[in-house]
Amino acid sequence: MNNGPKPSRLSYLTSGIVKENPTLILMIGLCPTLATTVTARDGLGMALAASFVLVCSNVVVSAIRKIVPDSVRIPIFIIIISTFVTIIDYVMQAYQPDLYRVLGVFVPLIVVNCIILGRAEAFAYHHGIIDSFLDGLGKSIGFALVLFIMGTLREFFGSGTFFGKAVLPAAYRAQPMLFAIFPPGAFFLIGLLKALVNKTALGKRSQ
Amino acid sequence: MKESKLWLVLSLFITCLLSAFALSQIYNMTLPQIEYQRNVAGLKAAFGAVMPDADRFEPATPDSSVWFAYSGEKRVGSIIKTAQQGYGGLVPVTAGIDLEGKIIAIKVASASEGLKETPGLGLKATEPDFRNQFAGKNVFQLRLKKDGGTIDAITGATITSRAVTDGLREAVEKYYDLLVPTPGVENE
Repeated sequence: MNNGPKPSRLSYLTSGIVKENPTLILMIGLCPTLATTVTARDGLGMALAASFVLVCSNVVVSAIRKIVPDSVRIPIFIIIISTFVTIIDYVMQAYQPDLYRVLGVFVPLIVVNCIILGRAEAFAYHHGIIDSFLDGLGKSIGFALVLFIMGTLREFFGSGTFFGKAVLPAAYRAQPMLFAIFPPGAFFLIGLLKALVNKTALGKRSQ
Repeated sequence: MKESKLWLVLSLFITCLLSAFALSQIYNMTLPQIEYQRNVAGLKAAFGAVMPDADRFEPATPDSSVWFAYSGEKRVGSIIKTAQQGYGGLVPVTAGIDLEGKIIAIKVASASEGLKETPGLGLKATEPDFRNQFAGKNVFQLRLKKDGGTIDAITGATITSRAVTDGLREAVEKYYDLLVPTPGVENE
């Protein structure tokens, strides 16, 4: 962390979206980004689940930061995070069973998502509740944006649809670019997105 | 106080306690809905092969031998379950019936699901060669050829073939009014 002039509250929210985008700039949380973005809906579902956990854990960690002993803070963070993950797991199972089946093991794996533990440790443990909430929200939006873009592009090229609705002619959908929805397509696309970010002004700061 | 040994232990204990309490509450709140969703998925797995267009099933008789199949709000047909005595035991059959009373597809329980017919003979009732004959048949055609109908019996397994065919016909006859809605009358 650089300790320049104290950043404004709004910048906690906005920095996560582009400047410190967790996936494309900080390069963390790549596993769900690659694995759950076969369609726009799956990507967005994953992003919403992770966002819920990130915002809630940031707020709770920040709220208890003054009473948590340093030496056991990591186990406590993990318990807090896994509690919220289990909550979202139950809720998704109950109300979004189709999405739950698709995301499968990646819902419980939110526990070990680096973004969430990373923000708890690097930010929420040292900042107030409101700032931590804004930070969690900002990082969530950045994460969701990347997952949504990945999911949309992969679904568009790989199935010719958008949120399950046909957008490309039937002739294309009969023989789509399957590469896009296979795992190599995910690596390829994240590489292209990263290159795009590096090439434009967005990535300048990280170099 | 923040770094005292007692507080190290106590803070972890309290965190676990609160977490367990919150999760038990959430679990009890979502359990009925989760069970319901599991049932829906289970029904889809059981009936999907004979009624591929439907996404929802509701029992139509108290003994669950007839189910209405819906796609969204629209009724697309029915599922009928029956089991007649075969050669080695009961032969359970599940069939999807369209709204005109014609069969869409049938499924005969496999040996692992409790079918006790002879391997190589009666067990062939589960194979597509026999099953696929039923697609599109109405109640009057549901009889073995040797009984004046349209279904080829499995060679050497007339009793099993008859159990499937006659069991199905009798079930369709029994519930005909449920299966085929009268035009103009809402059949819920």
